Amino acid sequence: MLLDLLPEERIATKVKAENWREVGRKVGEILLRDNLVEDRYIDAMIKSLEDNGPYIVMAKGVAIFHARPEDGVKKTGMSLITLDAPVEFGHESNDPVKVAFAFGSINNEQHVEAMSQLMTVLMEDESIDKIYAKDTSSEVFDYISQIISNN
Amino acid sequence: MRILAVCGMGLGSSLMLRMGVEKVLKAEGIEGTVEVSDVSSAKGEKADIIVAAPEIAEQLEGHSARVIAIKNMADKNEIKEKIMDYIS
Repeated sequence: MLLDLLPEERIATKVKAENWREVGRKVGEILLRDNLVEDRYIDAMIKSLEDNGPYIVMAKGVAIFHARPEDGVKKTGMSLITLDAPVEFGHESNDPVKVAFAFGSINNEQHVEAMSQLMTVLMEDESIDKIYAKDTSSEVFDYISQIISNN
Repeated sequence: MRILAVCGMGLGSSLMLRMGVEKVLKAEGIEGTVEVSDVSSAKGEKADIIVAAPEIAEQLEGHSARVIAIKNMADKNEIKEKIMDYIS
């Protein structure tokens, strides 16, 4: 479930980042800090964007960084940062990014339900702007919990 | 109707796209299955519709399925309009 993978401690608000690589590194470092991934996983997340283009900016203002299980995932988990100032990723319609997620999964099945809940959060009207407007990680966590329990 | 949700690796945005499409199918009462795939496997798979981000959709040009590019995966209206356009 989403909130098991994304506890309050893995949410950070008003993070400063100059460019999309820095966004990827900062949101990835939370996974690294909690020993969920190896350092090379962060490089792989960034490389995926270099190879495939900014398709990870999958909705307005949201980037979801990830790579493959074999790129250095130790344990399935997710992190979330809101940015101090929006960052351009080069996406034709969803820029600029205000909120970035990173996730690592040890296999392709484990995170299905969590992703379904994440989609529910993203499909809620104006949820990204509301998340972006929160000051603290506990406010972000509470807001996400509220959307999930209402659906 | 068989729909394939495709992304670079078949486990991130494709999964989210699948959720979005499933929600729309359910809301509209359309029968269909949605499966996920990575872009290279998708080239050899049969489907009625492929949904993917624009960058990925470009790589699947020429596929026998109708390839639909979804710009905003959290936008129910965009997904609905593009799928309904195929059906009608």
